[in-house]
Amino acid sequence: MALLRVEHIGKTYGSGETAVHALKNVSFSVPKGEFVVIVGESGSGKSTLLNMIGALDTPTSGKVFINDKNTFAMKEKALTIFRRRNIGFIFQAFNLIPELSVEQNMIFPLLLDHRRPNKKYLEELLTVLGLEKRRDHLPSQLSGGQQQRVAIGRALMTRPSLVLADEPTGNLDSQNSSEVLALLKDTARKYEQTVIMITHNPAIAHTADRVFQVSDGVLTDLGECRERGYLE
Amino acid sequence: MKSYLGLIPISAKVRRRQNRMTLLCIIFSVFLVTAVFSMAEISMRMEQSRLTEKHNREFTFQAIMDTSMGQNLLLVAGGLFVLILIAGVLMISGSINSTVAQRTKFFGMMRCIGMSRGQLSLFVRMEALNWCKTAIPVGIILGMAFTWILCAILRFVVREEFTAIPLFGVSPIGIISGVVMGMVTVLIAARAPAKRVSKVSPIAAVSGNADHTNRMRRAGRIGVFPIEISLGIRHAVSARKNLILMTGSFALSIILFLTFSVLLDFVGYLLPQSASDADIHISGEEGVNCVPYEIVETIRGMDGVKNIFGRRSAFGVPAQLGQEGMPQAVDLISYDDFDLDALKKDHVLKRGSSLSKVRGNSAYVLAICDEDAPLDIGDTIQVGSEILNVAGILKYDIFSGDGLSHGRVSIIASSETFVRLTGVTDYSLVMVQTTGDVTDEDVAAIGAVLGGSCSLKDGREEKTAGTYIAFNLCVYGFLAIIAMVTALNIMNSISMSVSARSRQYGAMRAVGMDGRQVTRMIAAEAVTYALAGCVIGCVVGLAIGKALFNILIRGHFAYAVWTLPVSRLLIVLLFVVAATSAAVHAPSRRMRNMAVTETINEL
Repeated sequence: MALLRVEHIGKTYGSGETAVHALKNVSFSVPKGEFVVIVGESGSGKSTLLNMIGALDTPTSGKVFINDKNTFAMKEKALTIFRRRNIGFIFQAFNLIPELSVEQNMIFPLLLDHRRPNKKYLEELLTVLGLEKRRDHLPSQLSGGQQQRVAIGRALMTRPSLVLADEPTGNLDSQNSSEVLALLKDTARKYEQTVIMITHNPAIAHTADRVFQVSDGVLTDLGECRERGYLE
Repeated sequence: MKSYLGLIPISAKVRRRQNRMTLLCIIFSVFLVTAVFSMAEISMRMEQSRLTEKHNREFTFQAIMDTSMGQNLLLVAGGLFVLILIAGVLMISGSINSTVAQRTKFFGMMRCIGMSRGQLSLFVRMEALNWCKTAIPVGIILGMAFTWILCAILRFVVREEFTAIPLFGVSPIGIISGVVMGMVTVLIAARAPAKRVSKVSPIAAVSGNADHTNRMRRAGRIGVFPIEISLGIRHAVSARKNLILMTGSFALSIILFLTFSVLLDFVGYLLPQSASDADIHISGEEGVNCVPYEIVETIRGMDGVKNIFGRRSAFGVPAQLGQEGMPQAVDLISYDDFDLDALKKDHVLKRGSSLSKVRGNSAYVLAICDEDAPLDIGDTIQVGSEILNVAGILKYDIFSGDGLSHGRVSIIASSETFVRLTGVTDYSLVMVQTTGDVTDEDVAAIGAVLGGSCSLKDGREEKTAGTYIAFNLCVYGFLAIIAMVTALNIMNSISMSVSARSRQYGAMRAVGMDGRQVTRMIAAEAVTYALAGCVIGCVVGLAIGKALFNILIRGHFAYAVWTLPVSRLLIVLLFVVAATSAAVHAPSRRMRNMAVTETINEL
């Protein structure tokens, strides 16, 4: 069964002569547990697509189903709750709360949901992310790679079925990039999560289960990159 | 951290500098209300114990409240509460708005990680309430301390009727109203920002286009001003809500100032203070003009006497007024030189009056008559065979209770002129101003030299000077605080507005704007707010002031004439200029000294 189904999504900014078609009739589906990478030039519509999937932005036309639920048919409040329980976000700019410690940053989404954090799961995540000795540090006391690992921890803390990452390694050096990426893949596999990631890095695209390319708002399924010889 | 709201105190600690101004605003409102209500309660209690002592029976607090004084006090305190509430809400709402605007991205991110709109709105409200935790106690302590100082001043400096005022009174009403004021202002002030924040789209965190609300329709024209000044003005005008808030707070303070200063005029009319107010009045037992004039010289040398002067009067003297020679009975009154000088000091002479002509043995007099009376400066009055010239007119009838002469004409002549006209040398009334250290024995000694034909009235206790000073002190104190709050608010708002644009300023510095241009840009923005606020404030303030003048003063004192308070307007102008330049100083220095790279690389 497909975890995510995108049906005929279109997004147009403006109208008349100045109309910009950021996405044109995009449809695809992703089964549970798959690691998907979206590539494309800047301005091609990748981020717009990711925002639509995460229900951060509303499309001009089309539907998005997550776990067979039509996200855009939901009311604002229900959508917020659905989002915080089912989708984890990771940003290029980390976007941690500067005044909270590593541990507090990670459990914050749970607190928003009025849930108590599962201590065992928190310890496990901290260990997996290599942050157990840094749990009381503030984001400013961490390196970029460590900060991004905290952001991953925060995204995974609510055990979302879908993780959306917009260039999570864009601000990191190659060493840190590959570490963070490996972590993301490992944890996704371990907790059976579907990951959709935007990247500019061909090496990352190479390791994905599937690759989509967005160009001028049109999505092309490049399939499994190794089979198709993507980026030759 | 047990709940997401646990972020609030943690974040407040980090953002202390940004929140300092908001805190100050809350402290000020709480302080003002606590002070006003504490003073009101303490003066009621003073009245209560005075009545209890006087009538020898217990008066309940409720009974005091039911008196007209209690009702008036309650009304004034209630009015002040509302005024302070409005001022507080405007100020606090302004600074919350600015802090919130700077954190759009943060709120967007909160939405991304699952905060609902309701939670965001609650977050902003709770954040605002969190400031009350420190601001309310500080405001209350300051308010109580201020009350104690005021009580001490009233008791030891003003004295008069305040010698019984308690020094360290604690007023439950003052404290409760302070707490209520703090909470209510903050909650009302946080409403609009909370609503605004709840509409922040999660996209704000991801896309970087945080500033959705401030979308420009078209590029502005660069007008006659240099580019940096045009930009500064545009900054002020483009965010309409901010413009309204800033202009509003400027205007409100000016309105408060112009309105409250009418109260000063009111007290002036209610408790007229004259340079010739006397402590002791000596009058004859048998009819007019029977206080022997030699007695004045005797008393002048006695202990405890500061000034002594007398008046003679002749009522119903037949006279002919003006050129046409209308026959009318007039009252003729003699004034000693000291008394004449007092008229000038009290500003009761109309423009064009000349006091020097009246002095000594002359043919000039001062006249008191109604507005529609036949006399004017330069007119003549024939008394007996003498023709007298009117050298001056008084603004109102100083001898009648309501200031109106009701068709009667009175003429004030110098001592010498009066004696020449009437031949009467004895006084009808002799007045003594005593020195500060006069004793009851001194007064008794004065009484002893009078003999049986004259009586002495000791009016030392009836002087209203104490109340007058106390009231002036309160109003001036209040005006000073309003001014201070306004200055703080303006400084705060400009500083906030600059911080919100620091990235933009950094970018401008990076492309070659120099320090002086940055200052000019910030100054242009501040001046725009100040000018708009000044114009609105003065127009509305003058209108309200005039209306208040008509209701409060003209209603009771028909002779009162409203004039444009030029000196007060000048004070307002000076104050606005000073506050604006102070407000521009710190932020522009911050922007000039800022490293260009610091802001442009900020995420």
